[in-house]
Parts: sequence; structure tokens; C-alpha cells
Amino acid sequence: MVEEFNILLAGVGGQGVILMSELLGKAAIADGLQVRGSEILGMAVRGGSVTSIIRIGDDVHGPLIPQGKCDVLIGLEPSEALRDVSYLSKSGLVILNTTPIVPFTVSLGQGVYPALEQILEKLNDVASKVITLDATQTARDAGSMLAVNIVMLGALFGVELLPIRIATVKETIEARFPAKTAAANVKAFDLGYQACQQAVK
Amino acid sequence: MKELTISSNAPGQRLFVLGNEAIARGAIEAGVQVVAAYPGTPSSEILGTLAGVARELDMYVEWSTNEKTAFEVALGASICGVRAMAAMKHVGVNVAHDPLMTASHIGARGGLVLVSADDPWAWSSQNEQDSRYIALQGYIPVLEPSSVQEAKDMMADAFRLSEEFGQLFMLRSVTRISHGRGDIVLGDISRERRKGSFEKDPDRLAYVPRVARINKPLMLQRFERIKKAVDTLSYNQLHMADRARLGIIACGLSYSYTLEAVKWLGVEDRVSILKIGTPHPLPEELIIRLLKSVEEVLVVEELDPFVELHVKAIVGEHNIAVEVHGKDVVPRIGELSTRKVTEAMATLIKCRPPVDFAALDRLEQEAVSLLPSRPPALCPGCSHRASFRAITTAAQRVAREYGDDVEPIYPGDIGCYTLALNPPQHAVDTCICMGGGFGLANGMAHVVEAPIIAHLGDSTFFHSGIPPLINAVYNKANITMVVLDNSATAMTGFQPHPGTGCTATGDEAVALKAEDVARACGVKFVEVVDPFDLKAATETIEKAIRFPGPAVVVSRGPCATIELREKRQAGEKVAPYYIDQDKCHPGCDACIKLLGCPAILKQADRTVIDAPLCTGCGLCAQVCPYKAITQE
Repeated sequence: MVEEFNILLAGVGGQGVILMSELLGKAAIADGLQVRGSEILGMAVRGGSVTSIIRIGDDVHGPLIPQGKCDVLIGLEPSEALRDVSYLSKSGLVILNTTPIVPFTVSLGQGVYPALEQILEKLNDVASKVITLDATQTARDAGSMLAVNIVMLGALFGVELLPIRIATVKETIEARFPAKTAAANVKAFDLGYQACQQAVK
Repeated sequence: MKELTISSNAPGQRLFVLGNEAIARGAIEAGVQVVAAYPGTPSSEILGTLAGVARELDMYVEWSTNEKTAFEVALGASICGVRAMAAMKHVGVNVAHDPLMTASHIGARGGLVLVSADDPWAWSSQNEQDSRYIALQGYIPVLEPSSVQEAKDMMADAFRLSEEFGQLFMLRSVTRISHGRGDIVLGDISRERRKGSFEKDPDRLAYVPRVARINKPLMLQRFERIKKAVDTLSYNQLHMADRARLGIIACGLSYSYTLEAVKWLGVEDRVSILKIGTPHPLPEELIIRLLKSVEEVLVVEELDPFVELHVKAIVGEHNIAVEVHGKDVVPRIGELSTRKVTEAMATLIKCRPPVDFAALDRLEQEAVSLLPSRPPALCPGCSHRASFRAITTAAQRVAREYGDDVEPIYPGDIGCYTLALNPPQHAVDTCICMGGGFGLANGMAHVVEAPIIAHLGDSTFFHSGIPPLINAVYNKANITMVVLDNSATAMTGFQPHPGTGCTATGDEAVALKAEDVARACGVKFVEVVDPFDLKAATETIEKAIRFPGPAVVVSRGPCATIELREKRQAGEKVAPYYIDQDKCHPGCDACIKLLGCPAILKQADRTVIDAPLCTGCGLCAQVCPYKAITQE
């Protein structure tokens, strides 16, 4: 029995954060787990910050992760992960895609995008561990620039903390995509998984 | 095995769904036959889901022109004896308010349910009003779910209740239910399909004053019956703890947060909890039992103290010795959370919260202070960006002739184009409600000396832009009204509307043109422009502003997101633009400063176009003073 496992996914509109949480949730219930979650749609779609929540377990009731109770924070974009750092629990883990997406406000001269080292330092102050990978490049290697979210999903399973079987999530991915892109997505998952395992070593 | 979907008749099976899909599923299980809605976050996916299965399940599903019409469609079907529903966001209920108040007098022949999706914290709305007060005013019973599963169950049950008591019911959702996700256990799908029939009954259906007087007492009688029944409805549950000093009354989603907070604080055995699923009318007997068993009670509900006021009234009426807390410790503004309920309880119990929340707040502030903001923006290739460039250029030219310090006024509206509030467009001066921009412009025209250019989108034009347009003609308001026509209700998810030539269920429809409507309404200056021909569009808008009397310009360019999607599907390549660094003048930044396109970036001291983001619209090439931007 799983009591409570909280996953927060942070990224930018267009990166597929919502699809990633859908796949996670579907795989979790296929394995007999109870799932709750929520997301903010609407305004956020137009290139804004997107946060999605997946909570697994029998003690979970609400759709939101209480601050200080997030087990894994997945950043599809570095600055977006830092934005949600206060949700991490003391034993919480960060999995981070190191490729930034600089918001247009920076080009307009409103604000500065911090150096990756600075973001990592802040995350490391709070998280028990920060696992980094270049998911954007890995997605390209897998043959689909759009598969950053699937690479990150693979990386999430690479930490081997989730109560969901890898076979189940792969079946969920295969069922979600048309045959011609399913293979590239499964490859993206595998590469993400491996990248994470190597980073952990 | 066939994959489980929202329309599978597979009782007992589990499905992972969005809250709005759960609401749609509940309606499917109840055998709803007529569904109408106008899109609005966070409600839009309810009708979107039902439209996708309408044919398969033999339902009639439509996107209506606005919420008032949507509700009237549902009411008309209910009068004819079939189960019907209307779905809308909270502020959409305001638009439907007029028929709603009399609908409750009529009662329901076919089960009739209104879904209001409230938006605490106004994530995607102009306010965070609490729709329970509208239900109170109209004697409309309210079901308020605590989870995605319960949203499904309540929706399915609402039609039965509506028919049992002969009354219109409301399901009040909130953003975190509608856009929450969870696993639901499917129920049986009713395949009953009734044939609609109209029975003439003017004493119930034709509201002249006499009929209002006949029906109000009947409505009150129906409401009394409902009031007696809610105490035994399973949506209201009282969990008594032995020797509890504190009782909690938790309404809707707040119940979920309360369960987590009680566990987090480790006080499960010291707190009695009353779960409220019907905030209107409230289960008074259960409330009285709880009130009499504790010394203090905390009412937990999102937004206004709706339940709290009623509980306080019960305390007074029954003279119960108990202290009632609510909005003194639970925020009135925004969404609740496990944290906020935990803090409120910790204050009352006088214990320490399980986590140092203040420290977490400091951490968050520190982190956010390091980060550039990432607001939503008009998409690369968005026709609105081109339209606003033309509008602001033309308006500035004319404004200068009014006087040195005269600025053009831009009454704006609700849609993607509201984003032009931000730099660099700065072309939204007001945003109040759907269709409100044209209306405000009418009032301003009679009292200020400045060019007034009101604008709204195509779907908003059909929703509520036409009456204020007619008003401008009738009352001679000297304003320019621009319809930003991207042929979609883009902000809420690209739903079709009367201008798109297609219905909710994909049938062909008459494609109304805003320019035809404007001409038919008596506007003497009506022009259509292509905003990507920036020079011509600017000149035409300038003429419109100079035209004495109301003028309409339809700025027509398809939604870039839809166009890009269609190109991808057809296998067409997009030819991006690039900046010739030999011709580009560093420090000029005209393309960035004038357009704010997310595809144009500063990299060190160079300005570059992010090719994968560029849609090839060519707007930047038109504003570059050095002709440094060209297509590959």
C-alpha cells in the first residue's frame, strides 16, 4: 500500500507537462493505485509557466501538494523548477532538464535569467538530491524534439522510487501515441531512464 | 480488450480523468439528452467531452452564442420533458442570470442541471465571485463536490434529484475540481431516450405578473421539500469523534483539505467533521447535532462565508452555546489548501503547525526574486500582434492631432487579445466583462475628447458585442470598433462559434461574418483588413478612427496555433525568417520593442530568431527599419 507520494511537474507551456502527468496518472491507476492531481490551464498555455500535480496513495484526498510535502520535483525547465522549490519535502528530490527556455520578458529587458549554477545551488540547498540531464538534447537523440516530457518521464522512473511498474508506463506510452511516433517516444523514455541512472551513479 | 473511454458502459471499471470529464461522464450516466454551453475556463472541457461522444450516445450538444442562450436551450428542452444541462464558468452565470431567476419558478419537467465552474484566485477570470449567492437568490439547490469522483456521482444524481423534486439544480465546481484529475469508478449508463413533447401550460410557463404570483409559493413548497431531504443525502456526512472540543464544517473541496489537515496535525480523534455536499439548502439537523456536541466550530469553505452565515443564523435561532469561526481564520480570498486549513486549525487548537510555513514562504520569495517573470504571451505568428501594431500606430497618429498629451483609449475585452494589456502592445485599457469594451466605449465617447478604439475577438463579438454596436449606431457614439477575427474561440481551446462555419459536433453551419452583421446594424464605415499587410491595415484603421460616427474594422487573420497544427498535419513545412546580422543594427531592437514576439530573442548583443518557434508570419520583416529580416 502506498500512503502518499507527491510529484510536482514544472515547465513551460508547449513542453507537454500536462501530457506527462496524464501518462503518469493512467499508468498509476493501471497498477491499481489511487491518483489525485490538478493543473492550471487557460492563460498558462500561451508560453507561461505550467505546473501539474500528480499525487499517488490512499491517504491523498486533495488535488494540491501541501508545501513541504513534495517527494519529487520534475523541472522540464530549470527556472520553473526553482519557482516551485518551496514545495519540496526534506527528503525531496529534484530531476532537472538543464536546457533553459528564456522568457521573452528578458529580451524586453525585464529581468535577467540566472546562471544554471545559481539555480542548481539554490535547488541543492533544499533538495536531498538534484539529478540533472539535458533532456532537450536527449529528446533530439531519440528522434523527436517534442519528446522532452517523455525523456523526463523516463528519468523519473530512473530514480526507482515510484510505485508504478516500468512495463505499465511503457504500455501507457505506446497506447497514447500513433504507431509511427510510439517507437521514438519509448526510445525517449529509455534514454531518459538511462541518463538518470548514470547521473545517480 | 477495447480501451476504456469516457463513453464506455463498463460499470465498476476505473478511469483516470480530468474533473470536467468526470462531470461529463456523470451527465452521460444520467442519460442527458440536450447539452449547451459557452466556453469559459475552467468549464470548457465539459461540453467539449460531450460533443465528442454526442453522435455515439444520441445526445444533442451545442456551443451556444452565449451563456444566456445556452441556459435557455437547456430550459427549453427540460420544458419538453427531456434531461438537459447547461455548463458555464461562474461569470457566465451572470450572463444567464435573467432566465435563471424565473426558471426556478417553472420547476423541471425533464431533469435540468446548471453547472457553474467557479474560479477561486481568478486564475483565468476577471473576478472570483461565489456563484452560491446566485443560487441562493434563485432558490436553486446546489451540489458541491469534494472530489473528482464525487463530481461524477453528483452530476449523475442531479438529474434524478431535479426530477424527483421538480426543481432546477446547480452543480458548483471550482477550478481544482474541474481541472483536477483523479481516478473514478464508472457507473451504469442510462440508455433511456425520451421523445420531447410540449404541453401548453401558460400558468406555469408564461410569466405575466399573475403567473409569477401563482408559481412563487409552489417554488417555495418545492424548496421546503428539498430542505427536509438534504439531511439524509449521502453527500452530507457527520463524523463524530468522542469528546471532540472542535467541530469542523467543510464544504465541497474544502473537505479534502480538511481530511489531510486533520491527519497532518494528528488530531483525527479530537475533531468532529461535518462534510457538506449541499451548501444550499444546508442539512440543518446534522449541523445542529454537531453544534450541540462541541465548544467551537470552524467553517471551512472557499471564497465567501456562505455556509458560515447560515451556521451563525442556526446558532442564533436555536440559541446554541458554541463559538463559530470561519473567515476570521480561513482566508476569504483565493483557493484553500491543506496548508491554509492546517494553519486555521492550529490557531484554534493552539498547537504548532507541522511545518515552518513562514520559512517556506521566505524560501519561495527568495527563489522567485531570482527569476524573470514568465507571463503568458501572444503566440509567435498570432494575428492579434499584427492587428495591435496597426491599431496602435493608427491611433497614435490621430491622437497627436487632438493635442500633445492626448492618448488614444483602448477599451478591451476577454480573450487571447487581453494579453495586449502587457508590453509592448499596451493596448488594453479596460477589461470588465464579455462584450464590455464596446459598451464602455459608448459611454466614454460622450464625455472625452480622444480617439476611442474598442476591440474584441470574433467569438466575443457574437457573444455580446452586437447590442453595444447597435447602441453606438443608435446613439451616435463616435467610436472605432475592431473585431479581431482569428476564426476561433482560441483562449479556451479553439472551440467553433457562429463565425467558423462549423458546430460543436462538427456539422457544417452558416459562417456569419462580423462585417455583414455590422452593415446590417447600420454601421456606415465597415472595412475588412488583413493585419499582416501592416501598411494597408494601419491606413484603413486610421480612416476608421477619423470617420465621424461609429466605424467597424474586421481584422482577419487565422489563429496561428490552429494554422500551424493544420500545416503540420498536412506535412507542410514552415519557412522561418532570420536576421541578417550584417544588416542588423545592434541596439535598435525595433522588432523586439514593437512586437514582443517570443520567437525573437536577444543572445548576448545579437538579436536572433528562434527558428523552431517562428511561424513565418513576416510581421517582423515589415517593422525592421534596416530590412535586415528575410525569409530563408
